[in-house]
Amino acid sequence: MTDEEREGEIRASLEDAPSSPGSSGYAGEGGSTSATSGSQFEIQHQEIEDDTRIEIDRISLSDSHTSWIPGKRHLDEDDASISWRKRKKHFFVLSHSGKPIYSRYGDEHRLAGFSATLQAIISFVESGGDSIKLVRAGRHQVVFLVKGPIYLVCISSTEEPYESLRGQLELIYGQMLVILTRSINRCFEKNPKFDMTPLLGGTETVFSSLIHSFSWNPATFLHAYTCLPLSYATRQAAGAILQDVADSGVLFAILMCRHKVISLVGAQKASLHPDDMLLLANFVMSSESFRQVKLTSESFSPICLPRYNPSAFLYAYIDYFDADTYLMLLTTSSDAFYNLKDCRFRVEMVLLKSSVLSEVQRSLLNGGMHVEDLPPLPHSGSSHLGQHMLPSDSPDRFKEANSGIGGPAGLWHFMYRSIYLDQYVSSEFPSSINTPQQQKRLYRAYQKLFASMHDKGIGPHKTQFRRDENYVLLCWVTQDFELYAAFDPLADKASAIKTCNHVCQWIKDVENEIFLLGASPFSW
Amino acid sequence: MPSRRRTLLKVIILGDSGVGKTSLMNQYVNKKFSNQYKATIGADFLTKEVQFEDRLFTLQIWDTAGQERFQSLGVAFYRGADCCVLVYDVNSMKSFDNLNNWREEFLIQASPSDPENFPFVVIGNKIDIDGGNSRVVSEKKARAWCASKGNIPYFETSAKEGINVEEAFQCIAKNALKSGEEEELYLPDTIDVGNSSQPRATGCEC
Repeated sequence: MTDEEREGEIRASLEDAPSSPGSSGYAGEGGSTSATSGSQFEIQHQEIEDDTRIEIDRISLSDSHTSWIPGKRHLDEDDASISWRKRKKHFFVLSHSGKPIYSRYGDEHRLAGFSATLQAIISFVESGGDSIKLVRAGRHQVVFLVKGPIYLVCISSTEEPYESLRGQLELIYGQMLVILTRSINRCFEKNPKFDMTPLLGGTETVFSSLIHSFSWNPATFLHAYTCLPLSYATRQAAGAILQDVADSGVLFAILMCRHKVISLVGAQKASLHPDDMLLLANFVMSSESFRQVKLTSESFSPICLPRYNPSAFLYAYIDYFDADTYLMLLTTSSDAFYNLKDCRFRVEMVLLKSSVLSEVQRSLLNGGMHVEDLPPLPHSGSSHLGQHMLPSDSPDRFKEANSGIGGPAGLWHFMYRSIYLDQYVSSEFPSSINTPQQQKRLYRAYQKLFASMHDKGIGPHKTQFRRDENYVLLCWVTQDFELYAAFDPLADKASAIKTCNHVCQWIKDVENEIFLLGASPFSW
Repeated sequence: MPSRRRTLLKVIILGDSGVGKTSLMNQYVNKKFSNQYKATIGADFLTKEVQFEDRLFTLQIWDTAGQERFQSLGVAFYRGADCCVLVYDVNSMKSFDNLNNWREEFLIQASPSDPENFPFVVIGNKIDIDGGNSRVVSEKKARAWCASKGNIPYFETSAKEGINVEEAFQCIAKNALKSGEEEELYLPDTIDVGNSSQPRATGCEC
């Protein structure tokens, strides 16, 4: 499909059906895609919510500050505490006999009675040959997920869609498998009394950090991974050495910077699911013992990739090159430590020699795509991210970054997910969305948009245009990609659509810097 | 993070309606008693921390409804219990006779791995009533039944006066703890790539 056709497609479908309720997934909220009708309802609706939200937020704000503190908090609470009851989002994991395994807030043992109640509800419905999925109680949704002998429950008043909350429970279960594999089921089969909490000892931060990522990491609902922006040559250099070690008996070789991929390589026929990468990276980054940079920098740990094989362990050699950049070498052999240590040495030599590590640090400083840098149309020639990234200290660069109120046509932010690459790219936040609260709100809005676009009952949809008092949101889904864009709430619809087309063109122009392209000479 | 291992024990209380299951639990957990009868609907859940031989553990007490109409709650409720407490009223022969049914029902539903040695505790409640004059089940008779079922520990209590309640639950905790000790060994597998084709995930491969 050519770009002209794409452009024609989005324009046509939005203009042909300017107020088609069918293209909006927001059933029950006016159900209209048009800019005006239905908005009155929404404004009134919102005011009520904001009032109550302020009250509820007081508790969560008082302890969240701006930076997130890892690990378990509010251990002194239980289901009788008012503060516990007011928390907006609870997660529980329990066994099929009602024994608590994990609770986001409060002490598991003090919540044993609550946990028993949850089990009673789930099992009662199950004994009738049915299964419970969702209970709505006022502002709260109670979402259930049964995974054999393990029950997961979310109780939320955040207004996230059911599909999102359920997806989050799936990830929590996946994280548990990363640590223990599905062979845990056998223990329950033999002994329903089985208590798995000792096996999860010391992993609270892994779960709390995963739960935290639900509000800042779009990979948790896009089911795609994201790459650190790097020049094509730099990424190639990293890929080449990873390929080299993969050929000597490594199943997966992954080089990452925080939650972004620098490069990754798999043995022939082995492929890595984005959810596995998310859970693996979360496990490694949240476990303090892996991070002891250059003291005991290397680690070797059994690890399960639930989407690859949920019932067995792989072994991961993990080494941090600096505070942000780490190498993970996955193998099936439990005695491969010395071999992998040797591989790491080879990788490190090459990365230093080809200055990949310093490029990585540079990219971290510069960030990725800034909406202010969206090339003006008519588009001429090829553009590079590097126009502002390298040389990084041109005076323009700073001017742009500081005045960043948004891009053309009021564009504030976008996320682009390439379907066949399983990757997404997300723009940097402009100053209009610079607090964690604002960013969380935008992600929640995207999440809702994602869920409505993928709604099996009324979807799938191609486009959605939505305006409320916070944003104009535009979503465009094709066979090849999904684009989510947020604009100033006063943005003009026609120019917003035009801008989305520019964004897609821009991404195409810089794709070999923002994505890991498989069609390299080192293809696997 | 203190990684001291804590144990959670699931304790199920069974018995006819009105024998004082909820009162026993309230006396034990909250040190309270009420003369007013309030039927339990389905089940009530209470938690109590107990210290036993320098170890701290949590009792998760499942107080079930005695009425027959709630017995459909079955398997779900009994699954994974560490101890089962059978309660009767020493002033009611029928409640004593039914202990056998409750015990059988529990063993069928919970299907513990070693039914012969599953820890039960029997409690004869309401010994305070009428100064013991309206009592119809003798201690001897009760103890004989307990002996015939594999020496089930037996306690006579008054939930109202708080007599023997603490002792009974101490024994419940001790027995539950004993049964919890033989834990399943967790033996995970390692992937053998050469052996079979792995389940394939999407993407990444070009």
